Amino acid sequence: MCALQLVADGVIFSCIIILGSIGLSLVYDIANFPNFAHGDLMAVGAFGAITANTVLGLPFVAAAVVGIGVGATVGVATERVVFEPLDVGPLELLIASIGVALCYRAVLIGGFGSDPRSYDVGGRGRVEALHEATGIAASPRSIAIVASTLVLVLSLHLLLQYTSLGRQMRATADDPDLARVSGIRTRTVTTAMWIIGGGLAAAGGVFLGLDTIVRPQMGFDLLLVLFAAVILGGIGSVYGAMLGGFAIGMAHELTPLVPGVGTEYKAAVAFVIMILILLFRPSGIMGGKESA
Amino acid sequence: MTAGTGLTDVGRSELPTEIVLELESVDGGYGDLQVLYDLSLGLGEGEVVCLIGPNGAGKSTVLRTVFGLIEPWSGRVLLRGEEISGTAPEEVVRLGVGYVPQVKNVFGSLTVHENLQIGGTAREESEGVIADLYERFPLLAEKRGAKARSLSGGQRQVLALARALVMEPDVLLIDEPSAGLAPTVVEDVFESVRTVNELGTSVLMIEQNARAGLGISDRGYVLDQGTVKFAGDADEILDHPEVAELYLGG
Repeated sequence: MCALQLVADGVIFSCIIILGSIGLSLVYDIANFPNFAHGDLMAVGAFGAITANTVLGLPFVAAAVVGIGVGATVGVATERVVFEPLDVGPLELLIASIGVALCYRAVLIGGFGSDPRSYDVGGRGRVEALHEATGIAASPRSIAIVASTLVLVLSLHLLLQYTSLGRQMRATADDPDLARVSGIRTRTVTTAMWIIGGGLAAAGGVFLGLDTIVRPQMGFDLLLVLFAAVILGGIGSVYGAMLGGFAIGMAHELTPLVPGVGTEYKAAVAFVIMILILLFRPSGIMGGKESA
Repeated sequence: MTAGTGLTDVGRSELPTEIVLELESVDGGYGDLQVLYDLSLGLGEGEVVCLIGPNGAGKSTVLRTVFGLIEPWSGRVLLRGEEISGTAPEEVVRLGVGYVPQVKNVFGSLTVHENLQIGGTAREESEGVIADLYERFPLLAEKRGAKARSLSGGQRQVLALARALVMEPDVLLIDEPSAGLAPTVVEDVFESVRTVNELGTSVLMIEQNARAGLGISDRGYVLDQGTVKFAGDADEILDHPEVAELYLGG
Protein backbone atom coordinates (compact mmCIF):
# COMPACT_ATOMS: atom_id res chain seq x y z
CA MET A 1 0.00 0.00 0.00
CA CYS A 2 1.39 3.41 -0.94
CA ALA A 3 2.40 5.91 1.74
CA LEU A 4 -0.17 8.43 0.54
CA GLN A 5 -2.95 5.90 1.05
CA LEU A 6 -1.72 5.19 4.58
CA VAL A 7 -1.69 8.92 5.29
CA ALA A 8 -5.28 9.19 4.04
CA ASP A 9 -6.32 6.24 6.21
CA GLY A 10 -4.49 7.87 9.11
CA VAL A 11 -6.43 11.12 8.67
CA ILE A 12 -9.74 9.24 8.72
CA PHE A 13 -8.81 7.22 11.80
CA SER A 14 -7.47 10.37 13.48
CA CYS A 15 -10.82 12.09 13.01
CA ILE A 16 -12.53 9.37 15.04
CA ILE A 17 -9.84 9.45 17.73
CA ILE A 18 -9.95 13.25 17.92
CA LEU A 19 -13.72 13.28 18.51
CA GLY A 20 -13.42 10.68 21.24
CA SER A 21 -10.39 12.34 22.83
CA ILE A 22 -11.98 15.79 23.07
CA GLY A 23 -14.89 14.47 25.11
CA LEU A 24 -12.60 12.43 27.32
CA SER A 25 -10.43 15.47 27.95
CA LEU A 26 -13.41 17.77 28.61
CA VAL A 27 -14.81 15.39 31.19
CA TYR A 28 -11.39 14.96 32.82
CA ASP A 29 -10.98 18.72 32.88
CA ILE A 30 -14.24 19.45 34.62
CA ALA A 31 -14.96 16.30 36.64
CA ASN A 32 -11.31 15.48 37.41
CA PHE A 33 -11.43 11.76 36.72
CA PRO A 34 -10.65 9.52 33.71
CA ASN A 35 -14.04 8.37 32.46
CA PHE A 36 -13.61 4.73 31.42
CA ALA A 37 -17.19 4.72 30.13
CA HIS A 38 -16.30 7.21 27.41
CA GLY A 39 -15.40 4.56 24.80
CA ASP A 40 -18.68 2.76 25.38
CA LEU A 41 -20.49 6.10 25.08
CA MET A 42 -19.17 6.15 21.51
CA ALA A 43 -20.86 2.79 20.97
CA VAL A 44 -24.09 4.11 22.51
CA GLY A 45 -24.08 6.94 19.95
CA ALA A 46 -23.41 4.52 17.10
CA PHE A 47 -26.30 2.27 18.16
CA GLY A 48 -28.57 5.30 18.57
CA ALA A 49 -27.81 6.24 14.97
CA ILE A 50 -28.16 2.73 13.58
CA THR A 51 -31.51 2.32 15.30
CA ALA A 52 -32.75 5.58 13.83
CA ASN A 53 -31.36 4.56 10.44
CA THR A 54 -32.30 0.90 10.10
CA VAL A 55 -35.29 0.60 12.45
CA LEU A 56 -36.96 3.99 12.17
CA GLY A 57 -35.88 4.39 8.55
CA LEU A 58 -34.38 7.85 8.91
CA PRO A 59 -31.81 8.95 6.33
CA PHE A 60 -28.25 8.56 7.58
CA VAL A 61 -27.58 12.26 8.25
CA ALA A 62 -30.72 12.56 10.39
CA ALA A 63 -29.88 9.26 12.08
CA ALA A 64 -26.37 10.55 12.87
CA VAL A 65 -27.90 13.61 14.54
CA VAL A 66 -30.15 11.31 16.57
CA GLY A 67 -27.10 9.23 17.57
CA ILE A 68 -25.24 12.35 18.69
CA GLY A 69 -28.31 13.43 20.67
CA VAL A 70 -28.53 10.00 22.31
CA GLY A 71 -24.83 10.15 23.27
CA ALA A 72 -25.20 13.65 24.74
CA THR A 73 -28.35 12.68 26.65
CA VAL A 74 -26.88 9.47 28.03
CA GLY A 75 -23.69 11.33 29.00
CA VAL A 76 -25.59 14.00 30.96
CA ALA A 77 -27.96 11.46 32.51
CA THR A 78 -25.00 9.36 33.68
CA GLU A 79 -23.38 12.41 35.21
CA ARG A 80 -26.57 13.39 37.04
CA VAL A 81 -27.55 9.89 38.19
CA VAL A 82 -24.17 8.30 38.89
CA PHE A 83 -21.18 10.62 39.04
CA GLU A 84 -22.59 13.82 40.55
CA PRO A 85 -24.23 12.19 43.59
CA LEU A 86 -21.01 10.31 44.41
CA ASP A 87 -19.11 12.37 46.96
CA VAL A 88 -15.86 10.43 46.43
CA GLY A 89 -12.38 10.94 45.01
CA PRO A 90 -11.10 10.46 41.44
CA LEU A 91 -10.07 6.83 42.01
CA GLU A 92 -13.55 5.84 43.18
CA LEU A 93 -15.11 7.73 40.26
CA LEU A 94 -12.77 5.88 37.89
CA ILE A 95 -13.96 2.54 39.27
CA ALA A 96 -17.57 3.73 39.05
CA SER A 97 -17.00 4.67 35.41
CA ILE A 98 -15.80 1.13 34.66
CA GLY A 99 -19.09 -0.10 36.10
CA VAL A 100 -20.98 2.39 33.94
CA ALA A 101 -19.06 1.15 30.87
CA LEU A 102 -20.07 -2.42 31.63
CA CYS A 103 -23.70 -1.31 32.05
CA TYR A 104 -23.70 0.52 28.70
CA ARG A 105 -22.27 -2.55 26.96
CA ALA A 106 -24.66 -4.96 28.69
CA VAL A 107 -27.63 -2.87 27.60
CA LEU A 108 -26.34 -2.74 24.01
CA ILE A 109 -25.68 -6.49 23.88
CA GLY A 110 -29.02 -7.23 25.58
CA GLY A 111 -30.92 -4.97 23.23
CA PHE A 112 -29.13 -5.54 19.95
CA GLY A 113 -27.07 -8.74 20.35
CA SER A 114 -23.37 -9.05 19.61
CA ASP A 115 -23.57 -9.31 15.83
CA PRO A 116 -21.97 -6.51 13.83
CA ARG A 117 -24.33 -4.17 12.00
CA SER A 118 -24.02 -1.67 9.18
CA TYR A 119 -25.82 1.54 8.33
CA ASP A 120 -28.27 1.50 5.49
CA VAL A 121 -26.43 4.04 3.42
CA GLY A 122 -24.34 3.94 0.27
CA GLY A 123 -21.03 5.62 -0.45
CA ARG A 124 -18.75 2.63 0.06
CA GLY A 125 -16.97 2.74 -3.28
CA ARG A 126 -13.96 4.90 -3.92
CA VAL A 127 -14.20 8.36 -5.44
CA GLU A 128 -12.75 7.76 -8.89
CA ALA A 129 -11.71 11.35 -9.57
CA LEU A 130 -9.71 11.45 -6.37
CA HIS A 131 -8.16 8.07 -7.10
CA GLU A 132 -7.13 9.08 -10.59
CA ALA A 133 -5.65 12.37 -9.39
CA THR A 134 -3.81 11.16 -6.31
CA GLY A 135 -3.88 7.38 -6.22
CA ILE A 136 -5.81 7.52 -2.93
CA ALA A 137 -8.77 5.19 -2.59
CA ALA A 138 -11.23 7.06 -0.39
CA SER A 139 -14.98 6.54 -0.26
CA PRO A 140 -17.58 9.29 -0.03
CA ARG A 141 -18.14 7.96 3.50
CA SER A 142 -14.51 8.68 4.42
CA ILE A 143 -14.64 12.14 2.92
CA ALA A 144 -17.86 12.84 4.83
CA ILE A 145 -16.17 11.70 8.07
CA VAL A 146 -13.24 14.06 7.57
CA ALA A 147 -15.43 16.99 6.52
CA SER A 148 -17.86 16.48 9.41
CA THR A 149 -15.03 16.22 11.93
CA LEU A 150 -13.52 19.45 10.64
CA VAL A 151 -16.89 21.18 11.03
CA LEU A 152 -17.37 19.82 14.56
CA VAL A 153 -13.84 20.69 15.70
CA LEU A 154 -14.05 24.17 14.19
CA SER A 155 -17.44 24.71 15.82
CA LEU A 156 -16.03 23.66 19.19
CA HIS A 157 -13.08 26.02 18.71
CA LEU A 158 -15.42 28.92 17.92
CA LEU A 159 -17.60 28.04 20.91
CA LEU A 160 -14.64 27.88 23.30
CA GLN A 161 -12.93 31.05 22.09
CA TYR A 162 -15.69 33.39 21.04
CA THR A 163 -18.76 32.74 23.17
CA SER A 164 -19.60 33.48 26.78
CA LEU A 165 -20.34 29.79 27.40
CA GLY A 166 -16.97 28.79 25.98
CA ARG A 167 -15.19 31.33 28.15
CA GLN A 168 -17.07 30.06 31.20
CA MET A 169 -16.12 26.49 30.27
CA ARG A 170 -12.45 27.42 30.05
CA ALA A 171 -12.63 29.35 33.33
CA THR A 172 -14.40 26.48 35.10
CA ALA A 173 -11.82 24.02 33.79
CA ASP A 174 -9.04 26.33 34.96
CA ASP A 175 -10.34 26.80 38.52
CA PRO A 176 -13.88 25.68 39.45
CA ASP A 177 -13.85 27.41 42.85
CA LEU A 178 -12.75 30.73 41.43
CA ALA A 179 -15.34 30.29 38.68
CA ARG A 180 -18.09 30.08 41.30
CA VAL A 181 -16.92 33.13 43.22
CA SER A 182 -16.75 34.97 39.90
CA GLY A 183 -20.46 34.35 39.39
CA ILE A 184 -20.33 31.39 36.99
CA ARG A 185 -23.12 28.89 37.54
CA THR A 186 -20.76 25.96 37.29
CA ARG A 187 -23.46 23.30 37.33
CA THR A 188 -24.86 24.69 34.09
CA VAL A 189 -21.37 24.80 32.62
CA THR A 190 -20.67 21.23 33.74
CA THR A 191 -23.89 20.07 32.08
CA ALA A 192 -22.84 21.82 28.87
CA MET A 193 -19.48 20.06 29.00
CA TRP A 194 -21.11 16.64 29.41
CA ILE A 195 -23.47 17.40 26.53
CA ILE A 196 -20.60 18.43 24.27
CA GLY A 197 -18.32 15.59 25.42
CA GLY A 198 -21.07 12.98 25.07
CA GLY A 199 -22.19 14.39 21.72
CA LEU A 200 -18.68 14.37 20.27
CA ALA A 201 -18.03 10.85 21.58
CA ALA A 202 -21.26 9.73 19.92
CA ALA A 203 -20.20 11.44 16.69
CA GLY A 204 -16.92 9.53 16.86
CA GLY A 205 -18.85 6.30 17.37
CA VAL A 206 -21.20 7.04 14.48
CA PHE A 207 -18.24 7.76 12.18
CA LEU A 208 -16.36 4.67 13.36
CA GLY A 209 -19.44 2.63 12.54
CA LEU A 210 -19.63 4.29 9.15
CA ASP A 211 -15.97 3.59 8.46
CA THR A 212 -16.10 -0.01 9.71
CA ILE A 213 -19.05 -1.71 11.44
CA VAL A 214 -21.23 -1.10 14.48
CA ARG A 215 -20.85 -3.51 17.40
CA PRO A 216 -21.17 -3.21 21.18
CA GLN A 217 -17.42 -3.63 21.81
CA MET A 218 -16.36 -0.95 19.30
CA GLY A 219 -15.86 1.89 21.77
CA PHE A 220 -14.16 -0.12 24.47
CA ASP A 221 -11.61 -1.37 21.94
CA LEU A 222 -10.66 2.24 21.24
CA LEU A 223 -10.52 3.38 24.87
CA LEU A 224 -6.79 2.90 25.44
CA VAL A 225 -6.01 4.67 22.18
CA LEU A 226 -8.20 7.57 23.32
CA PHE A 227 -6.37 7.74 26.64
CA ALA A 228 -3.05 7.67 24.79
CA ALA A 229 -4.20 10.63 22.69
CA VAL A 230 -5.38 12.62 25.73
CA ILE A 231 -2.18 11.92 27.68
CA LEU A 232 0.00 12.69 24.70
CA GLY A 233 -1.80 15.97 24.08
CA GLY A 234 -1.67 16.98 27.74
CA ILE A 235 -4.36 15.96 30.19
CA GLY A 236 -7.05 18.59 30.55
CA SER A 237 -6.33 20.37 27.27
CA VAL A 238 -8.95 20.14 24.53
CA TYR A 239 -6.53 21.45 21.93
CA GLY A 240 -3.96 18.98 23.21
CA ALA A 241 -6.52 16.21 22.78
CA MET A 242 -7.00 17.30 19.17
CA LEU A 243 -3.25 17.25 18.51
CA GLY A 244 -2.76 14.04 20.48
CA GLY A 245 -5.67 12.40 18.66
CA PHE A 246 -4.20 13.34 15.31
CA ALA A 247 -0.69 12.15 16.26
CA ILE A 248 -1.88 8.83 17.69
CA GLY A 249 -4.29 8.25 14.81
CA MET A 250 -1.59 8.86 12.21
CA ALA A 251 0.97 6.74 14.07
CA HIS A 252 -1.60 3.97 14.30
CA GLU A 253 -2.17 3.87 10.54
CA LEU A 254 1.39 4.65 9.39
CA THR A 255 2.87 1.74 11.34
CA PRO A 256 3.28 -0.43 8.18
CA LEU A 257 5.81 2.11 6.91
CA VAL A 258 8.19 1.11 9.71
CA PRO A 259 10.45 -1.61 8.29
CA GLY A 260 9.86 -5.01 9.86
CA VAL A 261 6.77 -3.92 11.78
CA GLY A 262 3.42 -5.39 10.77
CA THR A 263 -0.06 -3.96 11.11
CA GLU A 264 -0.60 -6.15 14.19
CA TYR A 265 1.69 -3.70 16.05
CA LYS A 266 -0.45 -0.63 15.23
CA ALA A 267 -1.67 0.00 18.76
CA ALA A 268 1.72 -0.80 20.29
CA VAL A 269 3.51 1.69 18.01
CA ALA A 270 1.05 4.42 18.97
CA PHE A 271 1.82 3.80 22.64
CA VAL A 272 5.57 3.73 22.05
CA ILE A 273 5.32 7.15 20.41
CA MET A 274 3.26 8.41 23.33
CA ILE A 275 5.86 7.17 25.83
CA LEU A 276 8.76 8.61 23.82
CA ILE A 277 7.16 12.05 23.66
CA LEU A 278 6.26 11.98 27.35
CA LEU A 279 9.89 11.15 28.19
CA PHE A 280 10.88 14.50 26.75
CA ARG A 281 7.73 16.44 27.65
CA PRO A 282 6.06 14.86 30.69
CA SER A 283 3.10 17.24 30.64
CA GLY A 284 2.21 16.29 27.07
CA ILE A 285 2.24 18.39 23.91
CA MET A 286 -0.10 21.11 25.20
CA GLY A 287 0.12 20.37 28.93
CA GLY A 288 0.21 23.56 31.02
CA LYS A 289 -0.44 25.73 27.98
CA GLU A 290 -4.18 25.79 27.61
CA SER A 291 -7.07 24.42 29.56
CA ALA A 292 -10.46 23.44 28.13
CA MET B 1 -18.73 28.02 73.40
CA THR B 2 -16.42 31.02 73.55
CA ALA B 3 -12.70 31.22 73.22
CA GLY B 4 -10.97 33.40 75.79
CA THR B 5 -12.08 36.79 77.06
CA GLY B 6 -12.35 39.88 74.91
CA LEU B 7 -10.28 42.99 75.38
CA THR B 8 -13.38 44.97 74.62
CA ASP B 9 -16.97 43.90 74.41
CA VAL B 10 -18.34 44.67 71.03
CA GLY B 11 -21.99 45.46 70.54
CA ARG B 12 -24.26 46.69 67.80
CA SER B 13 -24.05 50.19 69.26
CA GLU B 14 -20.47 50.55 67.99
CA LEU B 15 -21.42 49.86 64.37
CA PRO B 16 -22.26 52.67 61.95
CA THR B 17 -25.94 53.39 61.49
CA GLU B 18 -26.17 52.10 57.93
CA ILE B 19 -25.01 48.50 57.98
CA VAL B 20 -24.47 46.81 54.62
CA LEU B 21 -23.14 43.50 55.82
CA GLU B 22 -23.44 41.88 59.20
CA LEU B 23 -22.50 38.62 60.87
CA GLU B 24 -24.74 37.87 63.83
CA SER B 25 -23.51 35.39 66.46
CA VAL B 26 -21.99 33.06 63.88
CA ASP B 27 -20.54 29.68 64.80
CA GLY B 28 -18.86 27.85 61.96
CA GLY B 29 -15.92 25.89 60.64
CA TYR B 30 -14.82 23.01 58.46
CA GLY B 31 -16.21 19.51 59.01
CA ASP B 32 -16.08 18.88 62.75
CA LEU B 33 -13.52 21.61 63.35
CA GLN B 34 -15.09 24.72 64.84
CA VAL B 35 -13.27 27.89 63.83
CA LEU B 36 -15.75 30.70 64.51
CA TYR B 37 -17.28 31.14 67.96
CA ASP B 38 -20.33 33.39 68.40
CA LEU B 39 -18.76 35.91 66.07
CA SER B 40 -20.52 39.19 65.34
CA LEU B 41 -19.27 42.02 63.20
CA GLY B 42 -20.55 44.55 60.73
CA LEU B 43 -19.56 46.61 57.72
CA GLY B 44 -21.06 50.05 57.31
CA GLU B 45 -22.02 51.77 54.06
CA GLY B 46 -18.91 53.20 52.39
CA GLU B 47 -16.49 51.83 54.97
CA VAL B 48 -13.20 50.01 54.71
CA VAL B 49 -13.02 47.54 57.59
CA CYS B 50 -9.94 45.47 58.26
CA LEU B 51 -9.87 42.14 60.10
CA ILE B 52 -6.56 41.45 61.76
CA GLY B 53 -5.35 38.70 64.04
CA PRO B 54 -2.86 35.85 64.28
CA ASN B 55 -2.77 32.90 61.90
CA GLY B 56 -5.65 30.54 62.60
CA ALA B 57 -7.80 33.27 64.14
CA GLY B 58 -10.55 32.56 61.61
CA LYS B 59 -10.19 35.65 59.41
CA SER B 60 -10.43 33.82 56.07
CA THR B 61 -13.22 31.66 57.47
CA VAL B 62 -15.23 34.83 58.10
CA LEU B 63 -14.97 35.84 54.45
CA ARG B 64 -15.66 32.31 53.21
CA THR B 65 -18.75 32.16 55.44
CA VAL B 66 -20.06 35.48 54.17
CA PHE B 67 -19.53 34.39 50.59
CA GLY B 68 -21.32 31.09 50.96
CA LEU B 69 -18.25 28.91 50.58
CA ILE B 70 -18.97 27.65 54.10
CA GLU B 71 -22.42 27.47 55.65
CA PRO B 72 -22.57 28.83 59.22
CA TRP B 73 -23.45 26.23 61.86
CA SER B 74 -25.57 28.79 63.67
CA GLY B 75 -26.09 32.53 63.56
CA ARG B 76 -26.89 34.64 60.52
CA VAL B 77 -25.19 36.50 57.72
CA LEU B 78 -27.20 39.56 56.68
CA LEU B 79 -26.80 41.69 53.57
CA ARG B 80 -28.76 44.94 53.91
CA GLY B 81 -30.84 43.19 56.56
CA GLU B 82 -31.71 40.19 54.38
CA GLU B 83 -30.35 36.83 55.46
CA ILE B 84 -27.96 35.29 52.93
CA SER B 85 -26.49 32.52 55.14
CA GLY B 86 -25.59 29.52 53.04
CA THR B 87 -26.42 31.19 49.71
CA ALA B 88 -24.21 29.73 46.94
CA PRO B 89 -21.24 31.94 45.96
CA GLU B 90 -22.40 32.38 42.36
CA GLU B 91 -25.68 33.76 43.70
CA VAL B 92 -23.99 35.94 46.35
CA VAL B 93 -22.18 37.66 43.46
CA ARG B 94 -25.57 38.49 41.94
CA LEU B 95 -26.64 40.07 45.25
CA GLY B 96 -23.86 42.64 44.97
CA VAL B 97 -20.97 41.08 46.87
CA GLY B 98 -17.54 40.59 45.30
CA TYR B 99 -14.74 38.38 46.61
CA VAL B 100 -11.02 38.44 45.95
CA PRO B 101 -9.39 35.25 47.28
CA GLN B 102 -5.87 35.34 48.67
CA VAL B 103 -4.34 32.83 46.28
CA LYS B 104 -5.38 31.38 42.94
CA ASN B 105 -7.39 34.51 42.30
CA VAL B 106 -7.01 34.78 38.52
CA PHE B 107 -7.69 32.36 35.67
CA GLY B 108 -4.12 31.74 34.51
CA SER B 109 -5.03 30.22 31.14
CA LEU B 110 -7.33 33.11 30.22
CA THR B 111 -6.21 36.52 29.03
CA VAL B 112 -6.52 39.61 31.20
CA HIS B 113 -9.51 40.73 29.14
CA GLU B 114 -11.17 37.32 29.41
CA ASN B 115 -10.64 37.36 33.19
CA LEU B 116 -12.51 40.66 33.31
CA GLN B 117 -15.25 39.31 31.04
CA ILE B 118 -15.64 36.36 33.41
CA GLY B 119 -16.05 38.88 36.23
CA GLY B 120 -19.07 40.21 34.35
CA THR B 121 -20.66 36.83 33.66
CA ALA B 122 -23.65 37.63 35.84
CA ARG B 123 -24.48 40.89 34.09
CA GLU B 124 -25.96 41.41 30.65
CA GLU B 125 -23.40 43.91 29.42
CA SER B 126 -19.93 44.33 30.87
CA GLU B 127 -17.74 45.88 28.16
CA GLY B 128 -18.55 49.44 29.29
CA VAL B 129 -17.54 48.70 32.89
CA ILE B 130 -14.41 46.89 31.67
CA ALA B 131 -13.46 49.97 29.61
CA ASP B 132 -13.81 52.10 32.76
CA LEU B 133 -11.66 49.64 34.69
CA TYR B 134 -8.96 49.86 32.01
CA GLU B 135 -8.91 53.62 32.59
CA ARG B 136 -8.66 53.13 36.33
CA PHE B 137 -6.00 50.42 36.07
CA PRO B 138 -3.94 51.27 32.97
CA LEU B 139 -1.54 48.35 33.51
CA LEU B 140 -4.44 46.00 32.80
CA ALA B 141 -5.16 47.82 29.55
CA GLU B 142 -1.54 47.35 28.51
CA LYS B 143 -1.73 43.64 29.27
CA ARG B 144 -5.27 42.97 28.07
CA GLY B 145 -4.22 40.29 25.58
CA ALA B 146 -1.67 38.61 27.87
CA LYS B 147 -2.41 35.36 29.68
CA ALA B 148 -3.00 36.04 33.36
CA ARG B 149 -0.38 33.47 34.29
CA SER B 150 2.27 35.72 32.75
CA LEU B 151 1.50 38.60 35.16
CA SER B 152 3.58 39.46 38.22
CA GLY B 153 2.15 38.94 41.71
CA GLY B 154 1.12 42.58 42.06
CA GLN B 155 -0.43 42.66 38.59
CA ARG B 156 -2.41 39.51 39.38
CA GLN B 157 -3.70 41.09 42.57
CA VAL B 158 -4.87 44.15 40.67
CA LEU B 159 -6.48 41.93 38.02
CA ALA B 160 -8.25 39.92 40.73
CA LEU B 161 -9.51 43.15 42.26
CA ALA B 162 -10.68 44.47 38.90
CA ARG B 163 -12.36 41.16 38.03
CA ALA B 164 -14.43 41.41 41.22
CA LEU B 165 -15.30 45.02 40.36
CA VAL B 166 -16.84 44.28 36.96
CA MET B 167 -20.09 43.46 38.77
CA GLU B 168 -19.88 46.89 40.48
CA PRO B 169 -20.48 45.27 43.88
CA ASP B 170 -21.81 47.14 46.90
CA VAL B 171 -19.52 45.08 49.10
CA LEU B 172 -16.07 43.76 48.33
CA LEU B 173 -14.38 41.06 50.41
CA ILE B 174 -10.61 40.97 50.01
CA ASP B 175 -8.43 38.23 51.49
CA GLU B 176 -4.85 39.34 52.21
CA PRO B 177 -4.24 41.66 49.27
CA SER B 178 -0.58 42.15 50.21
CA ALA B 179 0.32 38.47 50.62
CA GLY B 180 3.61 37.67 48.95
CA LEU B 181 4.05 41.10 47.39
CA ALA B 182 7.04 43.44 47.51
CA PRO B 183 6.51 46.53 49.75
CA THR B 184 6.37 48.94 46.82
CA VAL B 185 3.76 46.78 45.09
CA VAL B 186 1.76 46.54 48.32
CA GLU B 187 1.41 50.33 48.35
CA ASP B 188 -0.01 50.22 44.82
CA VAL B 189 -2.47 47.47 45.73
CA PHE B 190 -3.64 49.30 48.85
CA GLU B 191 -4.00 52.46 46.78
CA SER B 192 -6.25 50.49 44.42
CA VAL B 193 -8.35 49.31 47.36
CA ARG B 194 -8.72 52.88 48.56
CA THR B 195 -9.72 53.98 45.05
CA VAL B 196 -12.34 51.26 44.88
CA ASN B 197 -13.77 52.41 48.20
CA GLU B 198 -13.84 56.06 47.15
CA LEU B 199 -16.01 55.04 44.22
CA GLY B 200 -18.66 53.75 46.63
CA THR B 201 -17.83 50.12 47.39
CA SER B 202 -17.73 49.06 51.03
CA VAL B 203 -14.69 46.89 51.69
CA LEU B 204 -14.18 44.12 54.25
CA MET B 205 -10.54 43.16 54.12
CA ILE B 206 -8.25 40.69 55.84
CA GLU B 207 -4.66 41.75 56.17
CA GLN B 208 -1.71 40.00 57.77
CA ASN B 209 0.25 43.24 57.56
CA ALA B 210 -1.99 44.70 60.24
CA ARG B 211 -0.50 48.18 60.46
CA ALA B 212 -0.67 48.70 56.70
CA GLY B 213 -4.20 47.29 56.51
CA LEU B 214 -5.50 49.44 59.34
CA GLY B 215 -3.67 52.39 57.79
CA ILE B 216 -6.16 52.47 54.91
CA SER B 217 -9.19 51.39 56.95
CA ASP B 218 -11.93 53.25 58.78
CA ARG B 219 -12.47 50.59 61.39
CA GLY B 220 -10.98 47.30 62.41
CA TYR B 221 -11.67 44.07 64.24
CA VAL B 222 -9.07 42.02 66.05
CA LEU B 223 -9.91 38.33 65.79
CA ASP B 224 -8.36 35.66 67.96
CA GLN B 225 -9.40 32.03 68.35
CA GLY B 226 -12.47 32.54 66.21
CA THR B 227 -14.03 35.45 68.01
CA VAL B 228 -13.78 39.24 68.09
CA LYS B 229 -11.34 40.37 70.77
CA PHE B 230 -11.37 44.04 69.99
CA ALA B 231 -13.21 46.40 67.70
CA GLY B 232 -12.99 50.08 67.04
CA ASP B 233 -11.76 52.82 64.77
CA ALA B 234 -8.59 51.90 62.91
CA ASP B 235 -6.61 54.65 64.64
CA GLU B 236 -7.92 53.53 68.00
CA ILE B 237 -6.77 49.97 67.36
CA LEU B 238 -3.37 51.08 66.13
CA ASP B 239 -2.87 53.17 69.27
CA HIS B 240 -4.20 50.62 71.72
CA PRO B 241 -1.26 49.41 73.84
CA GLU B 242 -2.58 45.89 74.45
CA VAL B 243 -3.49 45.36 70.82
CA ALA B 244 -0.13 46.74 69.77
CA GLU B 245 1.70 44.39 72.09
CA LEU B 246 -0.34 41.28 71.35
CA TYR B 247 -1.20 41.66 67.67
CA LEU B 248 0.90 44.39 66.07
CA GLY B 249 4.32 43.27 67.19
CA GLY B 250 4.75 45.93 69.93
